[in-house]
Amino acid sequence: MPRGKDQQAMEAAEPFRVMDCSLVRCATGRACSNLRELLEAIRSVPDAVLEHHMMRCALEDHFELHEFPNDLARWCWTVLGDNMLGEQLGLVDPYRESSTAALRAALVNLIEDRLWGLDRVPWCRPGLELHLVESHLIAYDTLERIFTPAALAEAVQRLSLRSLFYHVHDARRRTAGQADDFSAWLEQCDAEASLVATLRKIDFSFLNLSQLRQALVEAFRHYAAEALPVARSAP
Amino acid sequence: MRLLDRYEEIVGHQEVERLRRLAERVAGKRVVHVNSTRLGGGVAEILGWMVPLLEELGINARWEVISGPPEFYRVTKAFHNGLQGLPVSLRKSDFDLHYEVNRENAQRLNLEADIVFVHDPQPIYLPQFTPPGQVARWIWRCHIDASRPNRAIWQYLAKAVSHYAAAIFSMPAFARPLGCPMFLIFPSIDPLSDKNCAIPEAERLETLSRLGIDPERPLLVQVSRFDRFKDPLGVIEAYRLLKPYYPEMQLALAGGTADDDPEGAEVLREVRDLAGDDADLRVLMLPPDAHRTINALQRSATVVLQKSLKEGFGLTVTEALWKAKPVIGGACGGIALQVHDYRTGFLVYSPAGAAYRIHYLLRYADKRQRMGQAGHEFIREHFLLTRNLRDYLTMLLYLDHPQSQAIVV
Repeated sequence: MPRGKDQQAMEAAEPFRVMDCSLVRCATGRACSNLRELLEAIRSVPDAVLEHHMMRCALEDHFELHEFPNDLARWCWTVLGDNMLGEQLGLVDPYRESSTAALRAALVNLIEDRLWGLDRVPWCRPGLELHLVESHLIAYDTLERIFTPAALAEAVQRLSLRSLFYHVHDARRRTAGQADDFSAWLEQCDAEASLVATLRKIDFSFLNLSQLRQALVEAFRHYAAEALPVARSAP
Repeated sequence: MRLLDRYEEIVGHQEVERLRRLAERVAGKRVVHVNSTRLGGGVAEILGWMVPLLEELGINARWEVISGPPEFYRVTKAFHNGLQGLPVSLRKSDFDLHYEVNRENAQRLNLEADIVFVHDPQPIYLPQFTPPGQVARWIWRCHIDASRPNRAIWQYLAKAVSHYAAAIFSMPAFARPLGCPMFLIFPSIDPLSDKNCAIPEAERLETLSRLGIDPERPLLVQVSRFDRFKDPLGVIEAYRLLKPYYPEMQLALAGGTADDDPEGAEVLREVRDLAGDDADLRVLMLPPDAHRTINALQRSATVVLQKSLKEGFGLTVTEALWKAKPVIGGACGGIALQVHDYRTGFLVYSPAGAAYRIHYLLRYADKRQRMGQAGHEFIREHFLLTRNLRDYLTMLLYLDHPQSQAIVV
């Protein structure tokens, strides 16, 4: 993207508003000891519980320590010892489901199917129950504004991991899987279509937040040398 | 320099600025924390930094401490043990004493506030005796694993909780179903406190010399109150299992008692009896303000142990990981949140298990170093006081917007 185009973009689009977020977590007082209890829980828990264990758990960054992107897959694999179900649940992408109801149906279907083929219900050892947690996302404006794509390219290197979660993970939830906030804004700025497409192709559900940052930085770096001019952002 | 500015070096300028932005949304709220001691124990340490930092963030925060006769602390220690599932025997007069001491304190303390955080069971009945309208919201902060409590004690405490708008637990596994929201907030450490800050090498060596510890030989350290749930006897057993293989190994069991822990002396006597006259086994009874001594001990450790049988969150584990030490911890409570096998240390289930993992770590210096570094970064991201403050501020915001799935402020 030539310099002139970048400057035109500044005039055409609203500046990018950097948000940060934090979770309020609440215990539900409910815990699962076996696969059947997990199935019952998934059928009946509030949406905020499902969303926590499938999406917002990324903010707790256990993915750095373990290999599965959601709590349910991790528990089935490491605690119940049901590797097959763990793999299947690890592949469920909550952001591709049209709604939390659709996500719930997908999870129920997978676990029901697995239970159907098992001779006995897998149990966990005492003390390793899955404690169900409900969470709520509180997002707030940091007052930082980004005016150009080049400044955005610089900012993704230093934004908090929580900001990245809000602008990528939660943006996909808010837009029913359509777009992250970065690519949506770049599109408004009339930025290079291939950059927008590259950002949207990042498969963030298989990345922890630090790896997501690296993927974003790489996507921008690919274009930076030739296309993105001087950075400017305002606190 | 403002207090929070000092943390920029550790967590970054941006993190501190974000805290200030978040706090602007709840500035001016009047908050009181109430607990049972100003010295000793994790709660007093947390409040020691939290109250001034909340004030700096624009929250009108105060800290009040209840008081009572020695007998009151014996009863509340029994509550503490009973909440964690240990068999305890209490008479009706014990419950009556607790109730009365709460009544007296409610009259004595200045509790007028938007929110009063009541820490642990000692002051739990204060709402009962506080005039209506003086406190807008009561929140019970339970630092203890209350998942399998003694029934009689829980029944007594649950009656008090009915007066609360919410409770806070350190982990989901610690919560028991209550009729109010049960927030989850992990505790944290202050990286700049005397217990956790960097110390000069000369001071570290001088401390070891004063305590009779050889800085050139491997050192195992467990820092915790002399309390049965911390299993100091199990630590000695693990040390003795390994001593024939590592005759140069030393063990330091360092702890103290808090004002509200009358049982400590009895456990200390048992530990000293078992330790006998082993010159390489140091049982150190430290005063509550010996933070720099503990700091030096943790920094000198080859491996840190926290072989608890029951644990709240286990801040001593957090402290050791922050000092880049691998930790061998009992697989219970918050230790399991912090110690991840082969990454930050090992979870163990018996003295033999502890001995086995100590052996492994003494054998592989490179693995000790790698786990130590991973632990340090893990704590920086998740368990420093800046994260704890953010969780409190977020909760205060949420209380103004309950029932909302996602809130943008």
